Amino acid sequence: MDMPANALTTEAEQGFAELYDGARAKLPGANNAWARELRDQAMREYAAIGLPSRRVEEWKYTDLRRLLGEAYAPAPALSEALSQDDIRAILGEGLAGLDCHQMVLVDGQLRRELSDFGFVGDQGEVTSLGTALATPPKWLKTSFGKVNPPERDAVLALNAAFMSDGIALRIPAGFAVTRPIHVIHVHTAKRPVGVTTRNFVSIGKAAKVTLIESFFSVSDAAVQHNVATELDVGDGAQVSHIKIQNENQAATHLATWMTRLGTGADYKAFQFSVGAALSRSQVFLIFAGEDSSANVSGAFLLRDRQHHDTTLVVDHAVAQCESRELFKAVLDDDARGVFQGKIEVHPHAQKTDAKQMAQGLLLSEAAEFDSKPELVIFADDVVCGHGSTSGQIDEESMFYMRSRGISEAQARSLLIQAFAGEAVELIENETLREVLLGSVADWLAKRNA
Amino acid sequence: MLEIKNLHAEVDGEKILKGLNITLPRGEVHAIMGPNGSGKSTLANVLAGKEDYEVTKGSITWNGADILKMSPEERAIAGVFLAFQYPVEIPGVATMTFLRTALNAVRVGRGEPELTTPDFMRLVRAKADGLQISPDMLKRPLNVGFSGGEKKRHEILQMELLEPGLCVLDETDSGLDIDALRIVSEGVNSLRNPERAMLLITHYQRLLNYIVPDQVHVLSDGKIVRSGDKSLALELEESGYAEYGEKAA
Repeated sequence: MDMPANALTTEAEQGFAELYDGARAKLPGANNAWARELRDQAMREYAAIGLPSRRVEEWKYTDLRRLLGEAYAPAPALSEALSQDDIRAILGEGLAGLDCHQMVLVDGQLRRELSDFGFVGDQGEVTSLGTALATPPKWLKTSFGKVNPPERDAVLALNAAFMSDGIALRIPAGFAVTRPIHVIHVHTAKRPVGVTTRNFVSIGKAAKVTLIESFFSVSDAAVQHNVATELDVGDGAQVSHIKIQNENQAATHLATWMTRLGTGADYKAFQFSVGAALSRSQVFLIFAGEDSSANVSGAFLLRDRQHHDTTLVVDHAVAQCESRELFKAVLDDDARGVFQGKIEVHPHAQKTDAKQMAQGLLLSEAAEFDSKPELVIFADDVVCGHGSTSGQIDEESMFYMRSRGISEAQARSLLIQAFAGEAVELIENETLREVLLGSVADWLAKRNA
Repeated sequence: MLEIKNLHAEVDGEKILKGLNITLPRGEVHAIMGPNGSGKSTLANVLAGKEDYEVTKGSITWNGADILKMSPEERAIAGVFLAFQYPVEIPGVATMTFLRTALNAVRVGRGEPELTTPDFMRLVRAKADGLQISPDMLKRPLNVGFSGGEKKRHEILQMELLEPGLCVLDETDSGLDIDALRIVSEGVNSLRNPERAMLLITHYQRLLNYIVPDQVHVLSDGKIVRSGDKSLALELEESGYAEYGEKAA
């Protein structure tokens, strides 16, 4: 494919372009004109801008041009065979015990033998994204790539260019998916690979669903995982959306959530991250209908030289919507946590009620928390607020607990759990809440070991 | 027996305790009274092992053991308990989790088995009842949203649970109304026994109407300047601390 190559200067930047040339004819939907054009268009967009550097404001703290040394070739389509028992072992007892509909992607390919497709009734549709790209249904073609996408975003462009699989899901109006849908991503490749997955979820009016995305590794090899999820939420729908990122310590995890909420919708999202060497989680949420509410919260716990960046844009495009965000960062060793939270309130979005809070807990001298809240308000009758704190463990609290016989390590653990727990407690599903509180405890146990 | 000999302590380089001596035998209750700034709270914090308080000279032994060599948690296990003047609020830590963690840590440290959940619940409920602490209060995060009186009652609850040999009460009467003072005092009095020593640190004599001390010491400028029986407290109530360095209001 011919493209302007002048924006691509680094080895990784050029690598993605070369890999695309090699992969283009083999990617799902290669024989479909719509899918082909979608990819080519995305690649042209990428080629025009290249990877984001720190000079791009949205990527100020996560300079991908510097941080990505090379582009890894896409993982081979035939991955290691995993059994249901393997999946249970990977998830761990708590998460495996969750009563849910599982869909499993291994190295970026949806595995039918491990996945459940029968949960949306006769009126709905659920299929693998690969299949949907080869023979795209109308509902997918109309909205795919158009649900609140960020502009000039190289990571999203690369996602569209390389996407290998994922789930394409349409939940019909009024339909309640009673059990959570759990999309599990597992990396097994034993050498460095690129994995690109994409989910498209259309949720009908007044439908109800809980969608969980989780990420695990069984190999120690590096993976560049680019994952994007589009969520088109109909009027009056109630949606819970939870992410658990526990990839190996060599992984690069670049994730984009794009969500559009209709009128009177309720969206509760939570992101939990402990994995990957380098991770970026971008969330783009737009209120497209009045009287909707959204809570997007999360916790990330980092150690060693881990780098995680949560970047959030909440777009109040219409009036009378409520948004809440609470993010907690626990940072040890040389870890670096980034939170960028932007709330935009358009001129007509009166009666907007938006509140955001980001808090960092630094457990070492070298750990760093960069927090950049941003309010852009063009309406006058609104309640908007944001806050950001960064601090260490409270010594008075430590002394109080130790004076009651609680050891220093245990007192510190209780305080860290309390700190992260304040966010985790927002999760309504009790099993998931307990699983994640347990994950915080496990993370601490490694610290104290 | 608690023996404090020639204790010198400072905070941020400022000398606060300047040669304090106290001998408190088991089974006795001693009160330490003194004007503001005389070093009362410093003594309490030094006994509990707070890090910012540096002991520069002297010794503190409890039943012969040098507690200055112990961490705060080791002191708790050895039986030293400080009821704080201002208990800290810790959002996110459930009161019951805290109580259970503390009790089991102390029990294990003393070579006793941990309590099972039902046994622990029974024990806490019984003791909380006596202090008029509601089950609802125990469901809240540690000290969060507790009134001044509730915080003090909660301190006494912890004292009853951990069964210390040495109870140090730092201004426990401050911020209490008469009813709360009565409840707290009854709790403290019920813990008086021949094995237990208690040190009441207080500015006002009022508490000593409810918890009658065996001895009263007057602390002034970091030293004990006078000791006597309970009548000394009444005398101080009459005359004030003017002669011990506090300026008349």
